[in-house]
Amino acid sequence: MKLFMRMDEVLGKLGAFFRKVPYIGYSAFFILLLLIPYYHSTDVISSGQLGIFAYIVIITVAALGLNILLGYSGLISLGTAGFVGAGALGVGVFLELGLPFELAAIATLIVSTLIGALIGLFSLKVEGIYLAIATLFVGEILRQIFTTVPIFGGQSIMIGSVTLLGQFELSTFDQAQRRILFVVIAFLLLIMMIAMHHIVKSKTGRALLAMSRSSSAAQAMGISLMKYRLMAFSLATFFATFSGIMYALYNQSVPTTQWTLDLSLFIIAMVVVGGYKSIYGTFIGAFIIYGIPNLYLKELFGDVSFIFSGVLIILVILFYQNGVAYLATDIRLLYYKLKRHILGGARGKATDD
Amino acid sequence: MEKLLTIDHVSMTFGGLKALDDISFDIHQGEIVGLIGPNGAGKTTLFNCLTQFYKDYEGTFTLHGDTPVDLRDLKVTEVIDAGLARTFQNIELIPDLSILDNLLIGAHRSFKDSFAEELLKFPRALKEEKRLKEKADRVLDILGLQAIKDLYVKGQPYGILKRVEIARTLMSDPKLIILDEPAAGLNDVETDQLEQIIQLIQKELHVTLLIIEHDMGFVMNVCDRVCAINFGQFIAIDTPQKIQQNPAVQEAYLGRDDDA
Amino acid sequence: MAEILRIIFNSLETGSAYALAALGIVLIFRTSKTTNFAQGMIGALNAYVAAYIALNQGFSVWVVTLIALFTAFLTGITIDTLMIRPAKKVLPVSKQIITLGIIMIIVGIIPFIFGVNNFQLASFFPTGSIDIVGATLRFNTIFVIAVSFTVMAVMFWFIQKTKWGLAIRVTASDEQTSKLMGVPTATVTMLSWAAAAMLATLAAIFVAPRVSVYPNMLLNVQISAFFASTLGGFSTFLGPVVGSYIIAFLRNFTSFYISDIWGNVIVYMGILVFLYFRPYGIFGKKPQKKV
Repeated sequence: MKLFMRMDEVLGKLGAFFRKVPYIGYSAFFILLLLIPYYHSTDVISSGQLGIFAYIVIITVAALGLNILLGYSGLISLGTAGFVGAGALGVGVFLELGLPFELAAIATLIVSTLIGALIGLFSLKVEGIYLAIATLFVGEILRQIFTTVPIFGGQSIMIGSVTLLGQFELSTFDQAQRRILFVVIAFLLLIMMIAMHHIVKSKTGRALLAMSRSSSAAQAMGISLMKYRLMAFSLATFFATFSGIMYALYNQSVPTTQWTLDLSLFIIAMVVVGGYKSIYGTFIGAFIIYGIPNLYLKELFGDVSFIFSGVLIILVILFYQNGVAYLATDIRLLYYKLKRHILGGARGKATDD
Repeated sequence: MEKLLTIDHVSMTFGGLKALDDISFDIHQGEIVGLIGPNGAGKTTLFNCLTQFYKDYEGTFTLHGDTPVDLRDLKVTEVIDAGLARTFQNIELIPDLSILDNLLIGAHRSFKDSFAEELLKFPRALKEEKRLKEKADRVLDILGLQAIKDLYVKGQPYGILKRVEIARTLMSDPKLIILDEPAAGLNDVETDQLEQIIQLIQKELHVTLLIIEHDMGFVMNVCDRVCAINFGQFIAIDTPQKIQQNPAVQEAYLGRDDDA
Repeated sequence: MAEILRIIFNSLETGSAYALAALGIVLIFRTSKTTNFAQGMIGALNAYVAAYIALNQGFSVWVVTLIALFTAFLTGITIDTLMIRPAKKVLPVSKQIITLGIIMIIVGIIPFIFGVNNFQLASFFPTGSIDIVGATLRFNTIFVIAVSFTVMAVMFWFIQKTKWGLAIRVTASDEQTSKLMGVPTATVTMLSWAAAAMLATLAAIFVAPRVSVYPNMLLNVQISAFFASTLGGFSTFLGPVVGSYIIAFLRNFTSFYISDIWGNVIVYMGILVFLYFRPYGIFGKKPQKKV
């Protein structure tokens, strides 16, 4: 019994501390990510595998944005891939025009987010399945533009080495520099995670939730559906575009053809499997959906990534709707249940004696 | 007594059916007014017109004050700024937020920080969060919810949910609180508690209340005046005792109960 | 004149494939309350069956089509039983994502059964054509259009006039009540999945000679079918079919007369603008909402 009380005390304090200073958790997560290229140097993870980890880091940002839309606002988008592509290709085009990388990124974010806001405007009129298909329209329009308009270079845009802050030139074709690029994108992920944390744990996050859970209550409390629908789509687009920019930064060559509905669907799957509303869960979802098949299963069983993800998505939805992120919560509940059971049993015994 | 709200010749039609037919009455500063009537009498419709969820009604709702406001000029999201806060017949809380966070949604309009300040956690964002959490604490104390404020709304008993919804309306410093069947589904103990809470709100916070309720005992105990409507038409407004004795009301509404 | 006729017949042929797929999508949407993103993949899977048997057994396209329709029937039933029926209580968004899971499983399975190469499937009438005012019209085109019209006519007759059709319509409008009234809603839903799978397979076999058989062979058709259902309105059975032909016509005409590259983009933008003003499609009605 004493043991339990001690454990409760320690766990409770620890939990409260992490909730109060969430930055510690995020920073620890960032440091864990930094270990990946280290393993890489000792050849445990080959260079191809570093690329897979980089892709997970990159796509997590897009999935975070979608989680704001899907988990908080209850709206679905089938056009996420289009905006990731817009970020990656847009930055490529602006770089070709001679802008420095940072300005190219900002310009791309502005243009892309404005288009996203337009969808938000659209969402006031069109709802449910019609809205979902409308976002699919937008994704398709973007895809067609990427593959047919000559400024996107036909098959792909070659960016070549990128100069950051006007002085650090980094090329993905150099081993050491690629590791630095990985650190950079991991840091960008950290920033976006904290940004999302700030957004969802504030007025905006609560308003988005209110809008999706009860639109009448939201309106009665003075929450403008128009403002927050626009906000939700703009944020999702911003995150997706940001993810595309990270892609361009790390890979330094951007294909025009891969920004299809399939990728949008995979990103949705990451959110569902990882857990609605969960920031860490989104990363875990991306790792499960993209990482596990490509890192581990491919060598053992051949290309089973699709079957694995497909079965997993269906199993999670049918049997564990909250998503993997809520495993911790459920384990905690189980612990309380177990404790009550044991303590209850002990007390029962005492009265018997 | 000073007038707070004037309901003036309000009518509302749904596909040829008169849901509200020329309703007029006043609500005075600081009183608790009950709105009664059989099912389908048009009570909730009146609430929805008043809070501007329905815009295509005839007549006017005037909110008195330094400058009188025609509520029709306000958007549904601006009604709360004018000092009107409401609850819903079916509880409309956010299940996956804590009780405290649900209250903060009620204070949505009171937050003065911008999105950018929120994103970067500027001092003003932190200050606003702190200020309104303290305000929420005071409301939670009054309603006896302080101990459970960090629990999720999902899974709480019905009586608690009803109380949280009332607490949420208090977060916007309302002049008039509009409650849609607050006692429905409550047991006797919970109803007694609710009566005390409502009287406390009226006395401590000097708020005016307009309440739809079917539970006649509750209405008699709590309300200063009661307005009865039937088939969208105004019948009478008077003290609870007089309304009970009013033959037209008895025929329309209480008559049914007396038969039983 | 000849050009216009050629475009019209082309549009009728592609529109038919869209319409078959769209009918399947709306059938499932009405009975299972989900959008089936896997519609195209289910068609492709069974087109693989047809092409594989044709290649290895030397059967004619007529025979393998019948076989593929039968396996499609089984596919539909399997999917409904294993993945859709257990998901009754799941959120609508999650249900849509289950169909994404189905796509992934089929994409993953195809190379294990059929290998990684594309297959070819012959047309029903590889040769033969007639001339109409200078436009060459292939027998196969006429056949595809005729079969599609017939199938859809039969479907509409079935939905509007038969007891099972009535069961589909009442399940679509209110499943809970229908169940209480003794309508076998589970069977209705299962048969809807089977029918949708068969419609998709027919569409796949119709487009196969032009695009060859590969996992994403129906992607274009499926996306167009979704757009058509949105344009026509998900709440009717006729709307998506009409929408399919409209989209096919618009696409062919814009890409011929305006620009091959921008034709699609212009049509999509146009539909988006249209949706802004009629959010529930041409035939659709706004669902009733209560405050």
